[in-house]
Amino acid sequence: MDQETVRTICYLARLEIDEEKSEKIQNDLETIIELISNLQSVDTSNIEPLYSPLEMTALKHEDVEQSDNKKEKFLENAPASNDDYFLVPRVVE
Amino acid sequence: MSIQFKSITELRVMLDEKVISPLELIQESHQLAKNFKELNCFVTMNEDFSKKKASSIDLDKKNDSLLLGIPLAQKDLFCTEGLRTTCSSKILSNFFPPYTATAVKKLEDAGSITIGKTNMDEFAMGSSNETSFFGNVHNPWKKGYVPGGSSGGSASVVAAGIVPAATGTDTGGSIRQPAAHCGITGLKPTYGRISRWGMIAFASSLDQAGPLARTAEDCAILLSTMSGHDPKDTTSLNVEVPNFLSELNKPIKGLKIGIIKEFNLGDLDKEVQARFEESKKIYEMLGAEFVDVSLPNISASVPTYYSIAPAECSSNLSRFDGVRFGHRAQDADDLNDLYIKSRSEGFGDEVKRRILIGTYALSAGYYDAYYKKAQQVRRLIKNDFDHVFESVDILMTPTSPSTAFEFGSKGAQNPVELYLEDLFTISSNLAGLPAMSIPHGQVNSLPVGLQLIGNFLREDQLLNAAHVFQQNTEFHLARPNMEDFK
Repeated sequence: MDQETVRTICYLARLEIDEEKSEKIQNDLETIIELISNLQSVDTSNIEPLYSPLEMTALKHEDVEQSDNKKEKFLENAPASNDDYFLVPRVVE
Repeated sequence: MSIQFKSITELRVMLDEKVISPLELIQESHQLAKNFKELNCFVTMNEDFSKKKASSIDLDKKNDSLLLGIPLAQKDLFCTEGLRTTCSSKILSNFFPPYTATAVKKLEDAGSITIGKTNMDEFAMGSSNETSFFGNVHNPWKKGYVPGGSSGGSASVVAAGIVPAATGTDTGGSIRQPAAHCGITGLKPTYGRISRWGMIAFASSLDQAGPLARTAEDCAILLSTMSGHDPKDTTSLNVEVPNFLSELNKPIKGLKIGIIKEFNLGDLDKEVQARFEESKKIYEMLGAEFVDVSLPNISASVPTYYSIAPAECSSNLSRFDGVRFGHRAQDADDLNDLYIKSRSEGFGDEVKRRILIGTYALSAGYYDAYYKKAQQVRRLIKNDFDHVFESVDILMTPTSPSTAFEFGSKGAQNPVELYLEDLFTISSNLAGLPAMSIPHGQVNSLPVGLQLIGNFLREDQLLNAAHVFQQNTEFHLARPNMEDFK
């Protein structure tokens, strides 16, 4: 894994790594990738992936309106908001 | 009479016989938390509210709940309405959830009292509680030693006797390994047994809540209360919940216990191995039969886990963007910059590492090689378990290859070194099986744990095997002297 790949992954994950830590992070990632690369030696031909230990269909519930809207409570946790919305830096000039 | 080190069952008797009032009990529990503040078990206390709730309890009013008035601590990963919930991360250091997690709500509705929120590895990512934004938690058995993780604060607070039990969560061993390192009993139930609603997600297909307590009996009480179908969690199982307490005390004569050949226990520390052999003898005396079994793919558990868990984590933690809740960077130029800066300032190094690995494993060109491959190996591991459970009732392994270790002594140079701590625990998360850790002696004056893994939804069998062991031994009664923390 080279510096360029690390930079690409960081951008995809919306993370920034401090200059002085970047080499350490690169080495750590390489070590972990090496660990998980051990999987390549396992024969998995014709094996279906198991994405969840419970292979069952999610239960459906009645589509009924619920009135537990906690707008004010949710907005209280927002770093910036007005009465109705979360506020973010301007997106469209 | 001091309440320190008392079990739920013992405190129940003290309350019912009016040796202590609910308010006195909560006050004493808070006092113990203050006396042992140096352990750093708690991130947030719930003192005023818990005393108010204790004062409102009327023990003369008919109530069958064994948890009425019992103080508990909740891992700081469970959302608690109006009570700060941080996941031990800077990014949530000022988060006050608008609702309470189902598992905690069930415990509180049964009359138990949350005295505080416990420290943990940041977002449950770690096996030593050293990744917390709020600092290391000490192991009550030895100052400067880790309690294990990620539920390190919950394990430490129970081992120190401040509360009789606490909640934890287990994604790859995060209840069992700290329980082992702190000399207490911990249970990771079957995936889907307890609702995950209101639990801050790390790896959704592996995460499961469960109890940490002094005895298997107390774990049974908590499990019976925490379990049950929750329409708010689509992976919550809609199955009947047994009264696990009444399933205890059954004879274990003829119980078939499997020993996993692939774990090469001969390679372990000689003392860890010796405790294991001693416990085997105890089970044999109690009538159990041992069988060697083979799980050919189990040695692939660690790489499988460290592919799947980071992938799910990178997806789950994308919700932390500085917009709706949590830390927001101050000097962002635009929206994208706001995401990058808020996340980079808010997450610690281990969380960043795992997000990056997960992002890599899920990215175009690598998805099949890492993520999908790991999910295929996961099926092979589960198939192996299905196969052995046709001939045995439970499986037995050490919980951890070592005892608690000194702060900073593992994983600093190479993160994989710490990942191997999870060798014995993670396969049951991959397969969704219940597993527990019970104390079974010490090595160099530090506790070691014995792991029992059960078949799907057979917590009753696990709890019974653990309870019978505890009825015939005294390992679970050992207490740290705590001299260094006074």
